[in-house]
Amino acid sequence: MSVTINTTINGQAVSASAEASTSLLEFLRDTLEMKGSKLCCNTGECGACTVIYNGKPINSCVTMAADANGAKITTIEGLAEGDKLHPVQQAFIDTGAVQCGYCTPGFIMSVKALLDRTKKPTAADIEEAVSGNICRCTGYNKIVDAIHLAAAKL
Amino acid sequence: MEYFEPKSIGDALSLLSKHGAEAKVIAGGTDVMVDIKFKEEPGALVNIKKIPSLAGITESGGSLRIGALTTIREIETSAIVREKLPVLWEAAHQFASLQVRNTATIGGNICRASPSGETLTPLLVLEANAILAFSDGERSEAFKTFFQGPGKSAVGAKGLLTEIEIPMPPAGSKGVYLKHAVRGAMDIAMVGVAVMLTPDGGKNSVQEVRVGLGAVGPTPLRAPKTEALLKGKPLTAALVKEAGALAATEASPISDQRSSAENRRWIVEALTRRGLEQTWKAATGKEVA
Repeated sequence: MSVTINTTINGQAVSASAEASTSLLEFLRDTLEMKGSKLCCNTGECGACTVIYNGKPINSCVTMAADANGAKITTIEGLAEGDKLHPVQQAFIDTGAVQCGYCTPGFIMSVKALLDRTKKPTAADIEEAVSGNICRCTGYNKIVDAIHLAAAKL
Repeated sequence: MEYFEPKSIGDALSLLSKHGAEAKVIAGGTDVMVDIKFKEEPGALVNIKKIPSLAGITESGGSLRIGALTTIREIETSAIVREKLPVLWEAAHQFASLQVRNTATIGGNICRASPSGETLTPLLVLEANAILAFSDGERSEAFKTFFQGPGKSAVGAKGLLTEIEIPMPPAGSKGVYLKHAVRGAMDIAMVGVAVMLTPDGGKNSVQEVRVGLGAVGPTPLRAPKTEALLKGKPLTAALVKEAGALAATEASPISDQRSSAENRRWIVEALTRRGLEQTWKAATGKEVA
């Protein structure tokens, strides 16, 4: 059964249809061709698909696309302004917090949500904010460096 | 797969009656979406998130009422839960990851009826009640009898959990929830132990203690023999040791990929001891002697 989804993604009104069983991640990647949010575990465990849903980071792979109706969603594609990267994105580059890069969009969305809710995150805030994101290259120290740098710049 | 977004409890119950075992209720979706992707789609999916009045935390008449759609993050960030129900707060705080806590609902965690469900042992020791709606009316069911087996509960296929009613813990009581898992985030408990202890007026002995055991039986369990052993006695180191060993015998764990049954009993023993020591100290200001 198909459902119509009227939502706002990165500030743009979007209307499209999808099967009721479609996840928000599938809706973004397959229906809207926005490939920035990554499909990895598809069970809500790795955080590669993290998007910001009404101000909160969530796993888009275990969220129904139908629940995007009326919601405001920010994805990794919505952070840069033209050629100017978002400070969190730039901080990941400046600290070398990227290895294979597959987890990076999810991490960046978790960090964006963290810095939206607190300007001066503590070490505990940072640990909590990315506890649901897994980097299988295990480059966590650089990622934490990037978060401190982004927090200092924002 | 048919899909519905009922706007009232009555509409949701009608859909569940009509579609019977074919229907599945979805709220946050963090479990159900995984089933849809990796197992099978239900015949009908009933999304209850559009029903107003099923979310929120309110205090009234000596109890706290939590709507079934309240997210785990809302519980974790609730000042009243943190202050008055720390045993539930700890479970919410250790729940999966921030992303999952922002989506998953307490009603979903309960109706999933997993023996390792994070909020379940705290609700058992808080002696909370499930408020259930059926097409022939509403009833209250104590969590003590609510869970019937893995994935099975008093909600059944045609009922809806609408609210959780938690009586405020006895004055002077302290509770903890201790979870043992390989990693802190995104891991299912090998064992979870909830302890709530109330000392007597002079803070010399245990007036009442409740011990809940998670992930060590087909449902979350209370440990009645352990509770009876401790009642009315001063909490000595010898008694704590005896209680831990007894709690291990009250668990009925299985061996699986997360842990052997034997290891789970060891962990029950250790966490029960630790839970008793921590709640005793918090409630009396004294170390277990």
